[in-house]
Order: sequence, then C-alpha cells, then structure tokens
Amino acid sequence: MDAPQVVSTIQRKYVLDLLKQGKRIDGRGFLDFREVKITPNLVPKAEGSADVRLGETFIITGIKYDIGTPFSDSPDQGVATCMTEFVPFASPMFETGPPSIKAVEVARVIDRGIRHGDCIQYKKLCIKAGELVYIIFIDVYVMNHAGNLIDAGAISAVAALISTKLPTAKVVDGKAVWDGGYMPIPINQIPLSITFGRIEDHIFVDPVIDEELVLDGRLSLAINEKGQITSMQKGGQATWTEEEIIKYSKIAVEKVNELRAKLNLRQYIPKI
Amino acid sequence: MTVLIPEEYPKTLIDKNDKRLDGRALDELRPFKCKIGVLNNAHGSAYVEHGNNKIYAGVYGPREVHPRHLARPDRGILRVHYRMSTYSVHDRKSPAPNRREREISKIIEDSLSPTLFLELYPNSAIEVYIQIVAADGGTRCASTSAASLALADAGLPMKSLVAGVAAGKADGKIILDCGDLEDKAGSADVPAAVRMIDEEFTLLQFDGEMTPEELETSIKYIKKGAREIFAVQTAAIKEKFDRIRQETDAENKIVEKQIKKEEPKPAEKVEEKKEEPKKPVSETPVKSAEPKPEPEKPAEKPAEKKEETK
Repeated sequence: MDAPQVVSTIQRKYVLDLLKQGKRIDGRGFLDFREVKITPNLVPKAEGSADVRLGETFIITGIKYDIGTPFSDSPDQGVATCMTEFVPFASPMFETGPPSIKAVEVARVIDRGIRHGDCIQYKKLCIKAGELVYIIFIDVYVMNHAGNLIDAGAISAVAALISTKLPTAKVVDGKAVWDGGYMPIPINQIPLSITFGRIEDHIFVDPVIDEELVLDGRLSLAINEKGQITSMQKGGQATWTEEEIIKYSKIAVEKVNELRAKLNLRQYIPKI
Repeated sequence: MTVLIPEEYPKTLIDKNDKRLDGRALDELRPFKCKIGVLNNAHGSAYVEHGNNKIYAGVYGPREVHPRHLARPDRGILRVHYRMSTYSVHDRKSPAPNRREREISKIIEDSLSPTLFLELYPNSAIEVYIQIVAADGGTRCASTSAASLALADAGLPMKSLVAGVAAGKADGKIILDCGDLEDKAGSADVPAAVRMIDEEFTLLQFDGEMTPEELETSIKYIKKGAREIFAVQTAAIKEKFDRIRQETDAENKIVEKQIKKEEPKPAEKVEEKKEEPKKPVSETPVKSAEPKPEPEKPAEKPAEKKEETK
C-alpha cells in the first residue's frame, strides 16, 4: 500500500554499483554484523524478556508460560512455540490485522532454530509425563524494521529465553501447584542465526533495510555452539550453487561463533 | 490459561497514615518519564513510562486511507490502534485483538481528535499505533499521554497536548493515579485525560461507586496529576527541539560562510549588465565591505526554509 514497497530501479542500481566496488550502503564490510545491544528483563510481568537492537532494527521479545498437556508423540517433553508480530509502527509497509505471511515465516524460522538446535531441555519442562508440561510462549514483537528481522528476532528470542525465571511446580491431586521456587529454563545449546543477502553474485551478511528491499534472495542458517547447522531457510527467487552453499555455511559457522562470543548471552541467566 | 502463581490482592490498600502500597500519598502521582522520537521509521513516536507501564506510540500520516471508503472528502480521519503485547500482563493475553482493545482504541481516538485540525487533511488518515510492552494499571491514560506526544513529534499542528491519569477509590478514600492492584482491588476507577490548554476533559470513564462529592475530589486530583504529567511532556518536547535548534544553528553558520564567498560574483554580473561607469572601480570593494552584515540576513532565510521542508 505504501511507497516503500515499490523500489525504484535506481535504488537497486545504487546498491548494486556499491557492491561491485566492494562497498555497502552503510559502509560495512560484506561479512560484518551491525552493532547489537541487549537489555534483558524490561517487562516486570513477563517471565523473561529482552529488548534487542541490531543497528536500527528494534525487537522486544517476552516469555510467558502455560501448563498444558504434552503432544502424544513426546509425552515427557515440554513445548515451546514462537510467535512474531509486526507492530504497525515498525514500518510503513506493515499493516494492522492478522500476522502476514512474512511475520509467520520469521516466527517459523526462529522456532526451528530453537527447536532443532538442542536448545531447550524439553524433558526438564515436564511436570507429569503424559499429563502436565510447561508450554513456553516466545512472543517476538518487531518495534522498528530496519532489515534482517530473522537474525535480530533469533537473538532476542534466545536472550529472552535465557533471562527467564519459571516458577517450579509440584503435583497435588493431579494438578500442578507452585512449590514456592523458581528455575531458569534449562538450556543446552544457544543457537544463533545468520542471514546472507544476495544481489546477483554479491553475497553479504545482515542486510540493512535498503539492501533487503532490493535483494534477489537470502539464505538464513541457525548454528549451535558445537558449530553445527541446525536449520536453514532460503528466501527470495535467487538460486544458489553447491559451492556457494558449502562456502557460506562454513563462513556462517565462523561468523556466528564470533557473534556468540561477543554477545556472551549466558551472562543473562538469572541467579536463583 | 493455567498459572502457577495466581495474582493476589491485599486486603488493605491504604495504611493508617494514608500511605498507599507503594508508599505514595493519596494525591501523589507515580513516577512519569517520557521521550519522543524513539522509533526511526514512524513519522512521530514517543515512549512513556508511567509507574511500571511501558508504552510505545507511533504515528503515520497524514497518508492515504485504506480501505478507501473510509476517507472523508471534507476532513481527515484519526485512527488509533491500541494493542497489548501478550507478555505485558500477568496471564498471557491472546495475540488476537479483543473487544477491550477495540473500545480503548475508540475512546483514545475521541480523546485526541479534539486537539487536532483534522479539517486540514481531507481524504487522508492519521494513524496512531500504541503498543503496551508492560502493563501496570491505567494503560489507557498513559497511552493517551504517549499518543499525544507522538502526534506532536510527528510535527502535526495541535491545539494542545493531552495528559491522561486516573483517579479512584480504595478503602473508602479517593486516590490519584491507581496502580495495578488499586485498580483491580479498589472500589472505583475514573480514567481520564485532560486537554491542557483549557483543562477540559477529552477522555472520561467511570466504574464503581462514588458520591458526587467524591467525584469532585477525583476530578481535582486528576487535574493536579495532569498538570504534573504535562510539565514532563513539555520538557520532553523542548529537549528534542532544543537539540534540533542547536543543530540548525550550527548548519546555518556554515551556509553563511559559503554565501559570503559567492557574494561578489552576482555583484560583478550586475555591474556588467547595468554598466554604471560613473563609479570608479576602487569603490566596489568598499561597497562590498560596508553591507557585509546585511547579506547575512537573506542568507539565513533560505537555510530556515530548508529546515522546514525537511
């Protein structure tokens, strides 16, 4: 509906010309992330929360829980689900109404990075096998969209999870009751995501909004602490060669390790 | 929703010395902080912390109306969207918009419209989006304060700012600015917003039991609270525009210098065209030296205009 969705050929040419000279629109190197700032526990009534800024991209994620029944194929495991909402003030392109397909994709990619990355110890979120488990809600709210919502969202989701203080439960008469204590969400691996943008043969990390609007395609990878790839998502119409996929998956592991060391997310584990 | 720790309400909200749960006096406001220009993409934005309420408001517009049939040929429309984040409250809120959110959006819309000149924007919409990040009682009032600031930050002409605050009744006493527990466990709640230029009420709701005399006290308290909030709001706006003024002053100085250098060129051209042979050539530098302070004034004006168009 709004003008920014229509991107002029001139803007694409400008970004592309810079890339050909080995430069980017905001002066970063091809493999540089923007600066990340994290403020944990800003929401008093959420079990966990994080305010994350990746450059000018701004996301607030909160964690809430429910006690529910487990899935029948994993009766002794808790559940974690991720939702993303694009708050309409975050971008003139966003509209009110139910989550757009783009919001659903971001949520799904973050969700899979956490689910398959051996992140949460789901068995420790079980109160009574087959009957009572914790259901963890990871709700990601995009407050300002300046590009690369997947990586920023993944950082905020993980930071919020790590900062979470869950009330512990015991079973009384078949019901879950608070036993007076708290626990952090038990976490094995911290998965982080890295997104490569692509215009023609130029591939770069962490696209900013002006680049994102003119991308041919992107490739997002989630990497765990062992340096394993735990999920991937190709977006856009660009195609990738075998060599490129191998090359950039190696770069991804390297860059994510750097980012993980820099963020030191385990510092946000609550002291109980 | 099954929650392990249910919310508990204390039996007494006010102690013998008229001190409230958080130590406030009966007519004392919670800490109020605000900042404008906090979201990069929105045309105007504000962040408000009122007690433990944490609220962002963003404004777009005037812009095209969607769907088109809502557009009015004689005036613009104001649309407010008040939404709570799922994690802002004790029991996780469903992500879908509910009736409460819609109603509050509507009353905030009615509260802000009387401060705008909507007749200036025919066929357009001004959209205000409010996101409650953390809720602590009185979100509709704090949202109104935030939205009003965001509209001002968007540079829209306004008659006045609006400051929102609630009064209520707990343990038989009238109190200003109900906190979360006072809101839930108290016996009356009067959320209100005041248009500060004439101190008229643009938002008013009431739930509970009060005598007309008690209502009178409530209204006095609300006005007192609104004035205090208004002072902080004004300071936030001044802070931003003082910063802009300093920046533009610095920019203007650079422009002056550039124009001074270029100044002799048009003077020479004028001389060539009009041909004033009576004046000796030696006079020209003297001339250009004398009116030096004068060309500075026209130099300032184009610079100011540039700022306005931005």
